[in-house]
Amino acid sequence: MKKLSIIFSLLVIIALVFSCSEVKRDPGRVYMPDMAYSRAYETYSVTDEQRKALLDQGIHYSNIPVEGTIKRGELMPFPFPKDAQGDSTNYVASKQFKSQIPTPDSIQMIEAERLFLVNCAICHGPKLDGNGPLYRQGEGPFPAAPANFIGGAQYKSMPEGQMFYSVAYGKNKMGSYASQLNSRQRWMVIAYIKSKQAAAASQAPATTDSTAKK
Amino acid sequence: MTSHRLIAKNTLLLFFFLITSAFVGTTLFAQDGKKLFQDNCAQCHNPIKVVTGPALKGATDRIPDAKLLHSWVRNNAAVLATGNKYFNDLRAQYGGTAMNLFPTLTDGEIDAIFKYANSYQPPTTGPETPGASAAESDNSLLYGILTIILAVIMLTLLQINSNLKRLSDEKEGIPSVDAVPFYRNKVYITGLVLVLFVVGGYVLVQGAVGLGRSQGYQPQQPIFYSHKVHAGINQISCLYCHGNAWESRHAAIPSLNVCMNCHAAINEYSGKEKLYREDGTDVDGTAEIQKIYAYTGYDPKTQRYSTPSQPPVEWVKIHNLPDYVYFNHSQHVRAGKVQCQTCHGPIQQMNEVKQFAPLSMGWCINCHRTTKVDFPDSTNAGNKFYSVYTRFHNELKSGEMDSVTVEKIGGTECQKCHY
Repeated sequence: MKKLSIIFSLLVIIALVFSCSEVKRDPGRVYMPDMAYSRAYETYSVTDEQRKALLDQGIHYSNIPVEGTIKRGELMPFPFPKDAQGDSTNYVASKQFKSQIPTPDSIQMIEAERLFLVNCAICHGPKLDGNGPLYRQGEGPFPAAPANFIGGAQYKSMPEGQMFYSVAYGKNKMGSYASQLNSRQRWMVIAYIKSKQAAAASQAPATTDSTAKK
Repeated sequence: MTSHRLIAKNTLLLFFFLITSAFVGTTLFAQDGKKLFQDNCAQCHNPIKVVTGPALKGATDRIPDAKLLHSWVRNNAAVLATGNKYFNDLRAQYGGTAMNLFPTLTDGEIDAIFKYANSYQPPTTGPETPGASAAESDNSLLYGILTIILAVIMLTLLQINSNLKRLSDEKEGIPSVDAVPFYRNKVYITGLVLVLFVVGGYVLVQGAVGLGRSQGYQPQQPIFYSHKVHAGINQISCLYCHGNAWESRHAAIPSLNVCMNCHAAINEYSGKEKLYREDGTDVDGTAEIQKIYAYTGYDPKTQRYSTPSQPPVEWVKIHNLPDYVYFNHSQHVRAGKVQCQTCHGPIQQMNEVKQFAPLSMGWCINCHRTTKVDFPDSTNAGNKFYSVYTRFHNELKSGEMDSVTVEKIGGTECQKCHY
């Protein structure tokens, strides 16, 4: 009888040990919840009452700035609004628009390169050849080929303003990068692309021309 | 003899040359279609997926008139102007977006492109490698059963042993002593109390110290967003989505338009690796991507947005610092050049994010004491942010100190984080 109870309790302990999951789905206890979890409004962490109070006022946390306002230190707005579907008037008109910032110096160019590598290189490739990790010659998950800035003839001659239009509003399957890059950063990235294109054209005009013609 | 050999060698060489050239020729032709497609069409068309324009596989069946197809590819505006119903409808179906003109493509090149598109096979995908987590749970069950069996055997053997001993004692005439039951044995009781004291004290102290720390916290998120798939396999920079870590105090969760930059086009999970939650349940990657469409009101069929039926995604915050601690991401990431993984662990290997560090004060201070600041050295390489510390620069130059830690520039001052 005693042996039976020992065996039984052993089984229970083993069952308990193995039923414990290592996945911790609960944050655990805190000593003073008022200190650990902010009573004030904090990004992404609102209590149920706070959420209700905010939603009642129609406030979501990712609102865009009020129309007609310009952030301090921001450039003047891009004068071309987004084209309607199937229209390309403003896309064509944006060709005339010139960069709003002076050509970046070598130190600013490092930052421009960083911005390109973080935001653009994932599709357009670190070498700007339109073959980033998401595309990989059609092997990657992205179904459409990104623009090849070095080899594509139309991109080599594309004016800055039109590039800005594409970055700000998106083009074909590329989305808008207005939320990730402010207008100054967009112009910096475009200046970086232009500088790389110029470097590639001066280095090997023969090879780039042959690929461009195809 | 030698001449015979030479002739044989030469014919053999010629034979090989012919065969290889024939192979090279055919592969070149197939490659040509692929290359032409990649260079000219792939930005708006995919062989099997609707992108900006329709999928090209089977286009030659939909438009049997090869001449019409050729003229469409070369100058679609002219074909539309003739009032061709099929192509006008097609254009309306894709939102009136005009196709580019390709006047330089020859008939042969266009045929090669469509031949490539028709012969296109998607790269083999699907669950190839069974998940490691499932195998692990199987193993633990096996070990559990083994332990139970071994324990039962051990108990039985102990029983047999004591019975045998009693039997042999009886045989030899040694009277069996009435043993004191273990719960009255003073040695046992003292030992038990000691063990309880030590174990209980340890558990109590650990519990008290662990209050408010959530190391290992791994909540289930509303969308199964795998950092392993995005940051690991597809090599997306952390700052692509969490760009705020460079600019501001918070790393911030990206808004859904950042997801849609890619997921307007990538509407299914086609990774080789099967996805699992931490508890071992399967995840349908495609269904998780569809969740974004529900949140954004995007219709992948028409590729249009409408007002979403759901409120914004409520991601569960994992890393929480109390109100009385100030932490700034940009200060660490941009000025300090600290890698994300230093505090967040191997995030590019995590399917579900878990809190890697304890985020305790001791943990912060330890890092501040040992981390060396990237001071500008004699060649002036290094972070110019720290050039205001002239005394340290002079001491570095004179060799009085060999490096500057965060502690030296005030990284352990109370007011740095608590004010």
